[in-house]
Amino acid sequence: MAHEALPVLAPAAPEMFLAAAAMALLIFGVTRPNGSARLISWLAAFALVLALLGEFALGGERRVGYYGMFVTDSFSLFMKTLVLLGSALTIVMGLKYNEDRGIARFEFPVLILLAATGMMVMVSANDLIILFVGLELQNVALYVVASFEREGVRSPEAGLKYFVLSALSSGLLLYGISLIYGFTGTTSFAALATLAAGTAAPGIGLIIGIVFVVVGLAFKVSAVPFHMWTPDVYEGAPTPVTAFFSVAPKLAAFALFVRFMIVPFAPFLSEWRQIIVFLSIASMALGAVAGIAQENIKRLMAYSAIGHVGYALIGLAAGTEEGIRGVLVYLSIYFLMTLGAFAVILSMRRNGRMVEGINDLAGLSRTQPALALALAIFMFSLAGIPPTAGFFGKLYVFLAAINANLVGLAVVGVLTSVVASFYYVRIVKIAYFDEPAAPFDRPIAAELKGVLIVTALLTLFFFVHPGPLIGGAKAAAASLFLR
Amino acid sequence: MALAPLALAVVFLPLAASAIAGLFARAIGDRGAQLVTCGAVIVSAAISIPLLREIVLSGGPHVVTIAQWMAVGRLDIAWSLRLDTLSGIMMATVTIVSATIHVYSIGYMAEDPSIPRFMSYLSLFTFFMLSLVTANNLVQLFFGWEGVGLLSYLLIGFWHERDSANAAAIKAFVVNRVGDFGFALGIFAVFLLFGSVNLPTIFAKAPEVAHSTIDFLGWQAPSLTLASILLFIGAMGKSAQIGLHTWLPDAMEGPTPVSALIHAATMVTAGVFMVVRLSPLFEYAPGALGLVAVVGGTTAIFAATIGMAQNDIKRVIAYSTCSQLGYMFFAAGVSAFAAGMFHLFTHAFFKALLFLGSGSVIHALGGEQDMRRMGGLWNKIPITYAMMWIGSLSLAGIPFFSGYYSKDAILAAAWASGTGVGRYAFSLGLFTAFMTAFYSWRLLFMTFHGRPRAGEDVMHHVHESPWVMLIPVFVLAAGATFAGYFMEKYFIGSESAAFWNGSIFVLPGHNTVAAARHVPLYIGLLPTFFALAGIAVAFVGYILQPELPARLAFRFRALYLLVLNKFYFDEAYDRLFVRSAFVMGDGLWKSGDGTVIDGLGPDGISAATRDLARQASRLQSGYVYHYAFVMLIGVVGLVTWYLVR
Amino acid sequence: MKSLLVAYYPILIFLIIAGGLSVMMVVASLILARQRPDSEKLSPYECGFDPFENARIRFDVRYYLVAILFIIFDLEVAFLFPWAVSLRDIGVFGFVSMAIFLAVLTIGFAYEWMKGALEWD
Repeated sequence: MAHEALPVLAPAAPEMFLAAAAMALLIFGVTRPNGSARLISWLAAFALVLALLGEFALGGERRVGYYGMFVTDSFSLFMKTLVLLGSALTIVMGLKYNEDRGIARFEFPVLILLAATGMMVMVSANDLIILFVGLELQNVALYVVASFEREGVRSPEAGLKYFVLSALSSGLLLYGISLIYGFTGTTSFAALATLAAGTAAPGIGLIIGIVFVVVGLAFKVSAVPFHMWTPDVYEGAPTPVTAFFSVAPKLAAFALFVRFMIVPFAPFLSEWRQIIVFLSIASMALGAVAGIAQENIKRLMAYSAIGHVGYALIGLAAGTEEGIRGVLVYLSIYFLMTLGAFAVILSMRRNGRMVEGINDLAGLSRTQPALALALAIFMFSLAGIPPTAGFFGKLYVFLAAINANLVGLAVVGVLTSVVASFYYVRIVKIAYFDEPAAPFDRPIAAELKGVLIVTALLTLFFFVHPGPLIGGAKAAAASLFLR
Repeated sequence: MALAPLALAVVFLPLAASAIAGLFARAIGDRGAQLVTCGAVIVSAAISIPLLREIVLSGGPHVVTIAQWMAVGRLDIAWSLRLDTLSGIMMATVTIVSATIHVYSIGYMAEDPSIPRFMSYLSLFTFFMLSLVTANNLVQLFFGWEGVGLLSYLLIGFWHERDSANAAAIKAFVVNRVGDFGFALGIFAVFLLFGSVNLPTIFAKAPEVAHSTIDFLGWQAPSLTLASILLFIGAMGKSAQIGLHTWLPDAMEGPTPVSALIHAATMVTAGVFMVVRLSPLFEYAPGALGLVAVVGGTTAIFAATIGMAQNDIKRVIAYSTCSQLGYMFFAAGVSAFAAGMFHLFTHAFFKALLFLGSGSVIHALGGEQDMRRMGGLWNKIPITYAMMWIGSLSLAGIPFFSGYYSKDAILAAAWASGTGVGRYAFSLGLFTAFMTAFYSWRLLFMTFHGRPRAGEDVMHHVHESPWVMLIPVFVLAAGATFAGYFMEKYFIGSESAAFWNGSIFVLPGHNTVAAARHVPLYIGLLPTFFALAGIAVAFVGYILQPELPARLAFRFRALYLLVLNKFYFDEAYDRLFVRSAFVMGDGLWKSGDGTVIDGLGPDGISAATRDLARQASRLQSGYVYHYAFVMLIGVVGLVTWYLVR
Repeated sequence: MKSLLVAYYPILIFLIIAGGLSVMMVVASLILARQRPDSEKLSPYECGFDPFENARIRFDVRYYLVAILFIIFDLEVAFLFPWAVSLRDIGVFGFVSMAIFLAVLTIGFAYEWMKGALEWD
């Protein structure tokens, strides 16, 4: 009687805790009368923080679990920190919005918890199968939250679009996985890495497999030309969901992307770099150009996100340790300023209704100077104007690209960021120099105010003490290159 | 006693106070803002003295590292405080003078509607000045440098409803920018040469690179000299040396406490401090040192000449500051860094005293600054009158007042250096001493003696300042009287080697301060003689025969106008730079920018971009099958690329 | 590469047989059977609905809920069969794993039930 040895489960403890917490909250919520959404939201945020503490307890040391399919290291710690913080903050930031819209249901935080579980699995995936499991767990939760405002018109439309296109991309990804498995006979990253190290050039079958997986991942990070869902879903989904979409899943997918490219396939850098460069240039260019014509601020943020993905991809295209550090720094800063920008968008209420037009911001500096200042900080940072944090994010990826002999890519990056700064600065101009529109409602919810102040300060004063973030990103990047 | 917490307290208390006074002004009110800022700076000043003592006793530079600032490639910069005798003296000087002026401002600015803003600016200025003097690398020095420049701008333009104040603020900023450009280039040159901007590294390596050359604008320049001159250009801007001096007299548009603190005692001396701080660099660059001496000497006499003909009480003192800074520079130029620092130290007291005294006069006359409308005030405001006497005696270098010790040391050192440059500076300095005394007593006589030239109602209201303004003046007067006598042996006398403890570097052959102790007696007596002569001439011209100056002015009309109009520097700059820049800018704007660049560049490109943007958003049709189709095209395209390539 | 293709050989045969069989059946019915269409025969057939209405009516979302619930538990049974057969070999670990799996399913089911999704009116 051959008993299977019990797998090593400890590295996945936070994930398991989160899944259990989600289920417990689900049952807890359904047994309570209506109106307990706020309580459960705070509990869910608390659970996310506990999971984060669990991750810190595990630390950045490399641990492998589930027969090598699951790994935690500095990289996963870094990305999970961002993912969990992003999830928790979006739950909290959305409280007031959901209540105003009458969609404050307790399922919302539970779904975010489930999505966060999936994202953590993605970040830690060390095997193609686990990769897919994590991705789908996340996806299914996301389909539902995208259409969470089910009484409306746009939200279900957004959910449906996302579902159909995401299913298509998952199919492509799965097909890529099967091709890789078919041509190598393994799904384990470690085995693939050994194989790749021993091969001079990959066969065409394997390359096509990689291409398909990359396409699937490019969809998740919304890189051009797999970005088409982004503007519609961003605009249609309830704003807290949009905020969530633009931070946590994007970061998790990016983590997966980076790990998938670097850990098994680093030796094939010269092969897959071409596709990343293409995705990067296309994303930067489209993000910069298409954002100009937008009138809805959420839609604008969608194009902004597309552009920023392009910049982060520059670091991946470099493929060096420095490049990955650049990606991580970029993503963390993107995380900060995007959260802040969405906190501003969530504060745009007029007579109890949310408004989303860019022109609704007109003259904000005279009606709500503090909010306008925060908005200006985020916009300048998104545009990458020193000394805000956004500038340093760009600096690090461009530096990495130049050191990896991708000067052309860096030049395109600089040029597109000039174009993109137009629409960011335009928002500042509207907020500061146009005739004031009717003022927004006061007061801003305390949770939002907290997020606004913290993110604005961090964005503005990042340059004073960037050490911890840069150091963390460096350690995280190094952990991917350990053999 | 631990140095680090003391030093941190000295530097950051003013910052904290500034933040509180500035951000919570509405909560704490005018009185609260005054209390917080004055309290913090007084505590800071109180700590700075034992701190200096401790630094001197414990020797060697201490570095208190606060945090890593940036590490990019070879560039590694930390926020830190460098504590040695030099920075200790500067900290003490800055905080003490700043404390007195904070207190004085309570009285002087009592009627002003925006007291918290003023107090917050003053404290913030103090913080920047302290971070400048404690910098352990050139970039932090530059940080403080720009910070004080910013606050100078804000404070000159404090009464921003006045056009002249705004213009003066902008002028100060722009002229300083010219110097700062040199400073920045100097920092780059230093980084290029030494691979570091940290002072210890630079100082250690200075002898090695002393003889290398560097390619600058196609000219093989001796590298260290070039770097030093570039840095010195920065110092010239901040310390208002000839050529870049035009902003300082205009800066008198600011409130008088500002003139006293920023434009007399502290900020303008930052240039001198920088040269002294970088003495290990300048010592190996004899060419640069020579330039420093020549510029300093020339400025000293040049500014003094103008000072003799000015009628605005504050402008006279402003030109006097310019001239005294020239003294400090030529001291540094003849390697008498210690003497320069000594003069900086005493000057801070007597010049702040003179400014505060003139502030009291202006205060008493309800805002009048023109000396032609003063006179006969001495028995109405006797305390102020006495204080102005003390300041003037010290400024003129009359024996046993502070200025006497430091100024004589400088002149003696210049003589003792024995070089041509030294003799040049010495002779100019001597005449400057004469003129200094002349314009000081001209000021005293015109303001306080003779028949009252102010209106009846103004004279009726003349009153002595309140105690809150007088007590700070007493403190400064004590400094102006005794600081020289008590500190001489530490700065330049028998104890100086132990006192400085290596924080000033002088090459063995250059020790002019020591040599100055052995100059002939007549050299030592000459400055005093010249000063007394100056007083005598002023007495003749403004008490005995008041019509004499006017007659002389009429006789030498061209010369008088030249001096009265400050050698037409402002007009020349206006003609040369400002107007030609306007003409050029106009031409470039209308023809170059408007038609060529805008047409082909921004306007053309932006039109094209807008068009592209419209196209791009048209792609976003909203139909899922379009989106799926785009994705599939993408997949097919990528796969095809890998198959056919 | 070749051995890889050889390994897929049975699948190819399977595809050929399946395709061929279905083509054969359609062709055979075209050739062999008598063709007498009438309107009843040509109208679409739907189980449980009136065939004479528009096919695009909305029907109750609970159909889907029940159907999805059915699929989930159907799949559960599909897992349970091999699990039950090999329980002896996979031991406590296997037992606990399946217990957790069932618990998760039950939580979902309980949620749906308590929400009232299964009540038909």
